[in-house]
Amino acid sequence: MTTSTVTTPRVPDGVLGALVDVLGGEHVLTSRTARFNRARVPAPFPVHRWRERVPDLVVLPGTAEEVAEVVRIANAHGVPIVPRDGGTGLTDGAVPERGGIVVDVKRMNEVKEIDLENRTCTVGTGISMLKLNEVLAGHGLIYPDNPASYPCSLVGGRIGTSGWSLIGARYGHTRDLVLSFELVLPTGRVIRVGDGGGRKVSKSSSGYQLKHLFMGHQGTLGIATEATLKLYPKPEAEFSPFWAFADFDSAHRCVQRLAHAGVATFAGAVLFDERKVEYLRRDDEAYIPQPADVRALVCAVAYGNEDEVRAGGTRLMRVARAAGARYLGDEISQGDWAARHDRYATPLHGRTRSGQVAPMSWHCEDAAVNWTELPAVRREWHAIVDRLRGRFDVFDDWGMFFYTSADTGVDYLTEIDVGIWEQELDDEAWAAWVAAKRDIAAVALRHGGSISACHGACREGEVDLVPLELGGGYDVMLDIKRALDPRGVMNPGKYGLDRAYGPSPAEPEGGV
Amino acid sequence: MTDSEPCSPAGAGGPAGDGDRRSPATAEFLADWRNAAYNCFSSGHKFCREVCPVMQVTRNESWSPTAFHANVVAMEQGELTVEDVAEDYVNCTGCGACELRCPNTLFTGDFYRFRTRTVDLVKRVRALAVESGVHQPGHRRWNELTEQRAHEPVLGDVPVSQEHVRDWAHGLGLPVGGETILFVDCEAAFHRTSVPRAVAQILRLAGVEFGLMGEQWCCGGPAAEMGYRDQARRFAEHNLADWRAGGVRRVLVLDPHDYVTFTEDYPAYFGDAYDVEIVLVVELLAKLIEDGTLTPTVPVPRTITYHDPCRLNKRKGVWQEPRRVLRAIPGLTFHDEDRVTQWSYCSGAGGGLPVERPELTARISGSRMDRAAALEVDTLVSACPWSERPLAEAGRARSIDVVDIHELLAESLGIEVGGSTGR
Repeated sequence: MTTSTVTTPRVPDGVLGALVDVLGGEHVLTSRTARFNRARVPAPFPVHRWRERVPDLVVLPGTAEEVAEVVRIANAHGVPIVPRDGGTGLTDGAVPERGGIVVDVKRMNEVKEIDLENRTCTVGTGISMLKLNEVLAGHGLIYPDNPASYPCSLVGGRIGTSGWSLIGARYGHTRDLVLSFELVLPTGRVIRVGDGGGRKVSKSSSGYQLKHLFMGHQGTLGIATEATLKLYPKPEAEFSPFWAFADFDSAHRCVQRLAHAGVATFAGAVLFDERKVEYLRRDDEAYIPQPADVRALVCAVAYGNEDEVRAGGTRLMRVARAAGARYLGDEISQGDWAARHDRYATPLHGRTRSGQVAPMSWHCEDAAVNWTELPAVRREWHAIVDRLRGRFDVFDDWGMFFYTSADTGVDYLTEIDVGIWEQELDDEAWAAWVAAKRDIAAVALRHGGSISACHGACREGEVDLVPLELGGGYDVMLDIKRALDPRGVMNPGKYGLDRAYGPSPAEPEGGV
Repeated sequence: MTDSEPCSPAGAGGPAGDGDRRSPATAEFLADWRNAAYNCFSSGHKFCREVCPVMQVTRNESWSPTAFHANVVAMEQGELTVEDVAEDYVNCTGCGACELRCPNTLFTGDFYRFRTRTVDLVKRVRALAVESGVHQPGHRRWNELTEQRAHEPVLGDVPVSQEHVRDWAHGLGLPVGGETILFVDCEAAFHRTSVPRAVAQILRLAGVEFGLMGEQWCCGGPAAEMGYRDQARRFAEHNLADWRAGGVRRVLVLDPHDYVTFTEDYPAYFGDAYDVEIVLVVELLAKLIEDGTLTPTVPVPRTITYHDPCRLNKRKGVWQEPRRVLRAIPGLTFHDEDRVTQWSYCSGAGGGLPVERPELTARISGSRMDRAAALEVDTLVSACPWSERPLAEAGRARSIDVVDIHELLAESLGIEVGGSTGR
């Protein structure tokens, strides 16, 4: 006999039955495994506190109408709803903080239309970019939204987090690539937002520009169910030169000259700082050995038609050489980009202070920082992590990357990678980590940046500084939240938005 | 290199007090698997999800390779029990795609000197469940019948038995015994008898001397996959004893599942004492074609694609030889699909899934046949008898014929195969 444990959810009477009526029993999950596995994202969290984030139940809707019904039921009973797409985000958007219903959209993964004439496609938001591009490849097309989690993040999550793309300097980021999308509002109403009303319009000046409002809200303003996307010709050529430098400062100078060069096929540049190179040399088996005098690296990448990439590549090589760069050769250039980009290699282990290897989770804290501020931010961030490591031997500094966000070098996605030995992460170390995250965010703000270019800013620690960053804009966020989600059911606990409902947030009935 | 061994955290036994509630079997399981599970959990890069055949059709991440690892972490934390998790682990075909796609396997495997082993983990949790008295009804019944009959109940209500295990060879005049024997899996021996008939006749044409096994039982692999370890071991012991009694030195295997069992499970059971050579028939045939012993000459006018059986392509890295065989057959138009692309393909027939979740197997094979249909072929060729039943079922709706590679080669060699293809 099968004895899988099914626990009774802590939602109010009638909710479970109503959900089963809408979705069928097969798509309403109440088992402990289903619930525990929807409380997980890659961002570290003390394993011994896993249970705090477990939802009461999980639904797997198949249509926007089903999502809307679920949202209406949740509203009627004041039960929290947490949208979950790929669950690959690093800021806990998909993590239930108050129990409730996880709305997992992975079944909505249909390619509904490929419009070859207008170069768009329309998909369910539960599809991954990898799977979509397998289909588009047959037409010589690509949807170039390219995060590190490319093989497993989903289109809907990219909308909910306003994702950043590694090759965004060439093709734009999620906000540029999603033309319009269907959205279930926190009250259950279904609307479509884009640039104006047209489904396939890339530029409109009609009405408020709602598309941006409904991107990057981390699931607090609704659930995207269908998206229409902008497509490009699949690039004929890729060029990914790696250059070596004797120190960070010269690499820092060079990366900006590449960004300034105005090469049309330039899709991005990445700067590896000295601590990053040290770490890769020490512990990354994917790292192709390089001479000891290599202390910082720059990689640029170009995509496009072969004749254009060839010409652009020649210019980038010339620019780099003039900036004192040493080209590392084709093997390292192609191999390392493939390892870091296509396979997303991270070593997944770090070392204690004594040099002992320990299985560690990779976590990166990110910010958007102007090029001129990168050296100062780098110094201050490493100092914060060094202090943390000095106090707790479960943290390891894995160095920093800086990626161009745009094609002009205006700002950089700046990240510090920290190894965290979660198995050993006790409450004290966790509190210190949260404080360090807050300090890291404060540095970015002091230098005129933004707390996050990429992940979102709603985790414990940095989230405290979001009102400071946004100023009066944060008050507008509260007004919008209250207006669109009057009962506060949509992903409660995120971004400090409880404040929208007064000093003591409305307690949902049923004691969740 | 001592410093590259991961340290053992102080909390290795899990939260204080929980050890008391755990059975010794669960505690032993957690001690074996906690670090491997944590390596997956801490990565969180769920690249496995979109290649997993079950996840692809159900989109339910509770049944993904990463969830199978995360559950172990939760068990160690005292949050889940074997009773909570057992049923989820039914949802795996044992295809191994997740292991190949795992970032940990791709790189860090070298460092820790192991790779992500989801297939082993699933088998291990199933065994823990069975040994803890938590059974899946279909799996239990299947293994009870296998135990009674010494063969898997592949014909449903029609009993399978020792006196019929060689019926497939009717009229071929094959000897029994000898240094080299042909081992025929339950599905081919009783259901798709055209496959062993094709194999036997091709081998005879090539002058390969072989006999049939004395008293052949099921290889035991399916029982091992479903968690019935003692039964699997008893079957293995019987078969090995039979081989030894008959002086068998070499076993020819046509079924990829048997091939995995004989080259992975049996060595694990018997250690160095296991000195039987295992030969995969399709590899042998590719060699015989290459050295000119076999020359297919009869044109086979079909437009085909090849289905990489998971246990050959993903588990054993065998993908070149079947293609060499196919390319030697005249008359074929071959629309090949890359073997890495096929990491995410599966028939759905492995790992006991069709026993417990036939509807999922049907969806997975349907999805596989949709890919074949997109290539505009009239025939899908497989090299795994177990895959052929669900694929043929799905093929009927799409007007695509499913043929075994050995049957196809036999046809091109002018052999009248006979037997049943189950169609």
